Amino acid sequence: MTDTERLAGLVHAAQRGDGLAMAELLDALAPAVGRWCGPIALQDADDAAQEAMIAILRGLRGLRDPAALFGWARAIAVREAVRVARRTEREQTDELAHLPAPGDPLLAADIKDVLTRLTPEHRAVLMLRDLEGLDERTAAALLRVPAGTVKSRLARARASFRKEWQA
Amino acid sequence: MTWPVADLDAIRRLRALAAAVPGAFVAETVINAPFDQVWAVAADLEGELPAYLPDVRSFTVTSRDGELLVARARGYAGLRARFDIVLRPGWCVMRSRFLLGGMAAVPDGQQTRFAFLGGTLIPAQRAAAPALAVVGRWAGPKVLTRFADRVDQRGPGRQPD
Repeated sequence: MTDTERLAGLVHAAQRGDGLAMAELLDALAPAVGRWCGPIALQDADDAAQEAMIAILRGLRGLRDPAALFGWARAIAVREAVRVARRTEREQTDELAHLPAPGDPLLAADIKDVLTRLTPEHRAVLMLRDLEGLDERTAAALLRVPAGTVKSRLARARASFRKEWQA
Repeated sequence: MTWPVADLDAIRRLRALAAAVPGAFVAETVINAPFDQVWAVAADLEGELPAYLPDVRSFTVTSRDGELLVARARGYAGLRARFDIVLRPGWCVMRSRFLLGGMAAVPDGQQTRFAFLGGTLIPAQRAAAPALAVVGRWAGPKVLTRFADRVDQRGPGRQPD
């Protein structure tokens, strides 16, 4: 049995309410959920991952094609991570204005430090493009925003990201 | 370049699992013993489970294939059930036709965070979920107290089988 067939079997069993199958799906998805939620929710990442996993397991009955499990789960996890991050973070209206000047000791060469300067939505865009390799159209659909919005968010996120790393 | 990664530890996984099963409950405590000592009790299903689950008279593992186990449970109230189990350090989930159970443990310095999951898989569980949650709030802490007592009584000597 291939991994795809095994996962499909687990999805079908979990959709019927099989708790053991849900637990095995949890094991299969947990590393990816951690990877998706970490860059977006930052200090709230563990909470976000838990919330995302709950939403994924509760929503399983709505997954028609088990082969789409990871893409479907990623969309849920990203939206949950943004929601959790926004719950504790105030919207930064202009994150670039808050960036420290070049040479500021705060500008450590630390991706986490850079990510903290972006809004949760910008972090989601950056992660989907640079870590997951999604194109703008797919990222836009996942974030439920127009493609143009993703493009501008990405440009701004990357600009601030590059500025931080080159400082 | 290392991107931050969220940690979905065993207890968070158990909580997520419980949240997805209507009526399931999770009770959590901190046990004043190191992880190995706590998990020695948790992993000894045959020897220890009847000691902290009062309805269980015996629990017999009938097959074992890596971390996958099959067991037969017998209860005082006539319960007889086959359980399929996943058991590994820090994580245990068991499922019969009508019941779902689980345990998770995470080291916390010289102490251990320990959680217990209980739930039913009956067809009417969604309607019964509020009542089952009340039962869980009552039963969960009692199970944890008994479990912690077993950890204390067993001491640091015996390791998991």
